[in-house]
Amino acid sequence: MKQEENSIIGIWKDWRLHALVFIVVVLTEFIGTFSIPVGPGVILLLPMLYALIIGLILYFTPAVKEKQAKNAEPIIVLGVSLLLAKIGVVIGPSLPEVIAAGPALLLQELGNLGTIFIALPVAIWLGMRREAIGMTHSIGREPNVGLIMDKYGISSPEGRGVMAMYIFGTVFGAVFLGLIAGLLATITPLSPLSFAMASGVGSGSMMAAASGSLIAAFPELENQIIAFAGASNLLSLSTGLWISLFIALPLTEKIYALMTRNKQD
Amino acid sequence: MLKNIQEWTLLLVILGITGVFGNSLGYDVLPLTAVPGMIVLILICLAGFILHDLIPINFPSIAYISIIGVLVSMPWMPGSDMVIKWTNEIELLALTTPILAYAGIAIGRSWTDFVKLGWKTIIVASLVMLGTFLGSAIIAEIILRAQGII
Repeated sequence: MKQEENSIIGIWKDWRLHALVFIVVVLTEFIGTFSIPVGPGVILLLPMLYALIIGLILYFTPAVKEKQAKNAEPIIVLGVSLLLAKIGVVIGPSLPEVIAAGPALLLQELGNLGTIFIALPVAIWLGMRREAIGMTHSIGREPNVGLIMDKYGISSPEGRGVMAMYIFGTVFGAVFLGLIAGLLATITPLSPLSFAMASGVGSGSMMAAASGSLIAAFPELENQIIAFAGASNLLSLSTGLWISLFIALPLTEKIYALMTRNKQD
Repeated sequence: MLKNIQEWTLLLVILGITGVFGNSLGYDVLPLTAVPGMIVLILICLAGFILHDLIPINFPSIAYISIIGVLVSMPWMPGSDMVIKWTNEIELLALTTPILAYAGIAIGRSWTDFVKLGWKTIIVASLVMLGTFLGSAIIAEIILRAQGII
């Protein structure tokens, strides 16, 4: 913990990094939002998505050195802190509403098990072995990686699976959720507020991307979307590990055993 | 501890400046109008980090920050109307753009691992995200409808 805190010392002096980000932000906000109609829905291309992609491209140019990429990491945490402060002051005045939606907020956490019913069968069908357990038991953020490493070990197939999910989420998670959140909310009959609750998957940047794209699609619901997404993300952070440990992982093991047994018959 | 507060403050101010400019370009809020709100958000973050350092229990600083944000904007809190008015000038999306710009630069380091994943992994991982997201939305929908909220 101490080491982690020390690692921020002097990062403010990395002017190359901050100047690059400043330029990227100015440029992407200037470009603005584009929406691509897809049947009855829309795919929203938001400045934050361009920012992520331009940032990634910059990494491969001489403008960014390894030092900048390393320094950028702890700043994400600070940025997410600002975001959570903003979410906090939106929740405050609408707290009665959030509390009224408490049952939905709590129970939708169980919806995270949806991955097991959709992704696990496909993983097995594609020929994955026990990697599938690590990979599909949850969305694979830090607490889940910790859990799998603890239970199966770092070089186990389950460990490789959860790491693959972690890497995918790190690189592609925000873009993926940002693109599908707006699209699903506009083409399915489900309410944007339900998707707002679903946005809280336990990762700050994924929640930001998903709820941001919902806000862009339904600006009149902005404050409700922020409040529900923020509250749900807090719940995911505090309950995610327990749901993984006591429900998701045992259930994944069970379905895996069932499906692979049928295969051998 | 003092040294850390200084570092946090400087970084939050840098993020704040970028955010305020993005906010003005993307959402037409004059930079000066957005400054008080950004200062409030930065102060909430600092209060959260300081509490996390002072209180010797294992409670993440982001949880303190969320709770402080909620408390200072609740109706019975003196000055909450100003907090709400000022922070309303800061768009959530204007805060997310700099975060994802830094994230883009940082994930460059994971890129080589990412391209090694293979197409099966990409399909399954996409379904994991879709399943998690859609599963939660469906349950939320059922309960919100049953409660008559939507």
